[in-house]
Amino acid sequence: MTEDKISSSDSEGIFNDFIKERLEDMVDNIISEGDMSSFGGRESEIIVETDDIQPPRFTYGDEQDGQGGGGGEGPGREAGRLSFAVSYELIMQLIAEKLKLPSLLKEGQGKIKEVSYEFKTYGTAGIILDKKRTFKRALKTSIATKVYDPARGIYDIQLRRKDRRFKLPERVETPRYKAVVFYIGDISYSTYGERLKLEKRVVNFIQHWLDFNYGADKVEHRFFVHDSEAYEVMADQFFNVSNAGGTQASMVFDMVSQVARNEYEINSTNFYAFYFGDGEVFHDDAEEIMRILDEDMLPFFNRIGVTEVKPSGMSQLVSILEERFDNDEVVRLTQMRDSSKIKKVICDLFR
Amino acid sequence: MRSIDTDLELKHLEQRVLHYAHDVFHRTLPEMRFFILEPMEFASLLHKRVYPKSPQNLWEGKEMISTRYRVDSGQESSLYYEVVQTGRPSYAYLNETNSPMVQASVMAHVVGHCEFSELNVLHDSNDDRTERVMYLVNRVDRSRQGMGEAHYRTFWNAAESLVSLIAPNSQFNLESSVDTDILYSDPLEKEKEKESSLLTFPYSYTLSEVIQKKENHESLLETDNRRKSNKEALNRRGYKLKAPCQDIMGFLRKFAPASTGERNILDYLYTVNSTSDFVIRTQIMNEGWAMYWEHKIMKKLFEEKACTGIIDYCKIFAGVCYPRPYYQRNPYHLGYYMWNHIEELYEQGKVSLEFVEETDVAKKAAWDKPSGQQPLKAMEHIIETCTDYEFLRRFLTTELIDKFHLNRIPKSHIPHLKITANDVAREDRQFVWVNPEPVKEQMLNFFTHFHRPRIYLIDVDFMEGGLLLYHRDDGRDLRRRWIRPTLKNINMIWKGPVSLLCRESLYTLSAGKFKNSTVEAPPFEHIVERMQEGRRPFVL
Repeated sequence: MTEDKISSSDSEGIFNDFIKERLEDMVDNIISEGDMSSFGGRESEIIVETDDIQPPRFTYGDEQDGQGGGGGEGPGREAGRLSFAVSYELIMQLIAEKLKLPSLLKEGQGKIKEVSYEFKTYGTAGIILDKKRTFKRALKTSIATKVYDPARGIYDIQLRRKDRRFKLPERVETPRYKAVVFYIGDISYSTYGERLKLEKRVVNFIQHWLDFNYGADKVEHRFFVHDSEAYEVMADQFFNVSNAGGTQASMVFDMVSQVARNEYEINSTNFYAFYFGDGEVFHDDAEEIMRILDEDMLPFFNRIGVTEVKPSGMSQLVSILEERFDNDEVVRLTQMRDSSKIKKVICDLFR
Repeated sequence: MRSIDTDLELKHLEQRVLHYAHDVFHRTLPEMRFFILEPMEFASLLHKRVYPKSPQNLWEGKEMISTRYRVDSGQESSLYYEVVQTGRPSYAYLNETNSPMVQASVMAHVVGHCEFSELNVLHDSNDDRTERVMYLVNRVDRSRQGMGEAHYRTFWNAAESLVSLIAPNSQFNLESSVDTDILYSDPLEKEKEKESSLLTFPYSYTLSEVIQKKENHESLLETDNRRKSNKEALNRRGYKLKAPCQDIMGFLRKFAPASTGERNILDYLYTVNSTSDFVIRTQIMNEGWAMYWEHKIMKKLFEEKACTGIIDYCKIFAGVCYPRPYYQRNPYHLGYYMWNHIEELYEQGKVSLEFVEETDVAKKAAWDKPSGQQPLKAMEHIIETCTDYEFLRRFLTTELIDKFHLNRIPKSHIPHLKITANDVAREDRQFVWVNPEPVKEQMLNFFTHFHRPRIYLIDVDFMEGGLLLYHRDDGRDLRRRWIRPTLKNINMIWKGPVSLLCRESLYTLSAGKFKNSTVEAPPFEHIVERMQEGRRPFVL
């Protein structure tokens, strides 16, 4: 008893199972209503606040205070709030499970590798002596040869050369992936209010989803906007550039395609591009986009998403692109009319 | 967790504390074992009800994760001072972040708790308590594998609903409410013995008959029927309810039809939670006694310079013994000053008939006639015979209420307390002092209900094998939304219908269906009377 560690880790595991179920129920809310921009990175923890749980008991209390408890199978609820920290990984895993999102297909395997060494194997020759193993072997030998014989009061340990065991390094190669994501926004329409909110939520989700899949330090996020011309902007400007009037979307697709080809190693990089706009483009502009997608981007992009945000009767980009890319593996076309459709948009883009 | 033997400084302090406790002050102590814990181990221990191990369960996990979050986010300090599990031996746990002086004060404090548990009338201390719980934990762990994870968790959660229905020290505890051939000797035999002794005692035979006839109006036939019915119930089930039973979990632990695994869970939860009944009934005396001895032993330690930091100690002591109003009573403060006051009373001979009968106020005020009785012996006798209720009833006077500031209320609390101008004795900028007379009554009222609903088991054959629970009306409603899930949980343990009689409602959960019907619940006294007469306490 003197050296035992007092711990509640088993019980914490049961509670984690319970909150995992509850978080699964909360995932819809997190995606549709939550502010994912406040999530940290892979190592961070997310504070979750939920109704407190208590075993239902005969007690006094205001009727307004309590909610019915789940007899037998679970806890009752009380008006108090319960706060706890959940790992970023867990939240993202739950989101993936809930939305049935597949792990992203990573390319570039074998081209770039991270090499590390782990001391897993043991040998009779080497530099780093494994004292524990060596002692164990020496003890066994000493017992066998009666050098160590407590019954006769002999407590010697003979350390022989062949008892020595050394830690041997083992080369471990981990393929290193990198990805670049191009976010493309149409600033020629009124991107404010509800539109801006919807777009932000989806962009935030994509950022987190790709960071989670590749590791935040291995993903580069780049932001492009267009009206009648195309520009690259900083992340914080993406949602804040003012409307300049006119619209020609094919220019920005062309620009992204050029940047991807000229600035990255195509064979070892994973490319993603997500376009958000009202879809009100001229017919020939849409056809030009179709050509760029088909000829310049499709061959080496992992995923290209085109989303019409709050489309109007004039929106035709998605319908024109559907002629060529309906049910395409790489190019995904979708529309987002309100916040209830965010989940569907994410599924359309990634499933 | 490590033994105190691993820390030389603390080991020395432990020896000095025990020297004063044993050799100088001659305290009655069990063997005490001290251990040092890291802060989060300390938190875990508290959530395990002060035992080093516990079976895994949702609620401990919730409390621990919540504590961890509060500590990490700075909402809660991880600086807990002490916890002790009394018993023979007693296990006391020290927080490694405390200074040696604080550790010494904790050890001295623990001396008081251990002795109190040994001496007190409720007999809280028992042999190998911690070891017994460790054994129960192992049994539950083994049962978990047999029961399967899902059933284990479901049953545990259901059993948690019973924890507030533990009352081993109630007037209506298991022993006084249930006739059984399992727990005690056959009560019918006892009754028979009593009757036969009356019949075979020729000297008082006539007189007894006369008295008996006056006391007992039952005909011989009725008596015989009642005995037969009792006998039948005992033969059939092995127990019979003879009075309302407030220790409902104790009853279910013994008599609910349960598998070995389920019974192990009930045994464990009952055992680890039943000591809280002792705590709530003796908290003022107990904490006061601990502070009293902590103070005495620490003075000795400072005198011999075994530890330093007397100013810091005074600050901590003043913080712990800070007066609070009666509805937020601080047991450390109230208990400590009450014991000092009682010691003074005995020293000056004020606990005597002569003092009580003295009518001259001036003489009473200047009274100092030691009776020769050792104050400490008298104080020990109080522990051996009283709980908080009697302690306060006998020794808390209106003068003390005022002196201890029990009637001093912060002005910010006034709007919530329904205090009128007539209740106010005096006030200043910050506080209001209410009249002390009603304060004592309100403090004593706490011990009738402990601010919890009083629920009794009154029938075990209601609606053919169902349990009937009774809520003794305190003028307050139960939280209605929790009645159904609580009944459902009890139903899962009893495996039969369960009903609750509550004011004008009868809530029933049977075969998964919940029903609420309007009835007139009889007063508690009628129920007791009917049960004593061997009649059904409540009939639809």
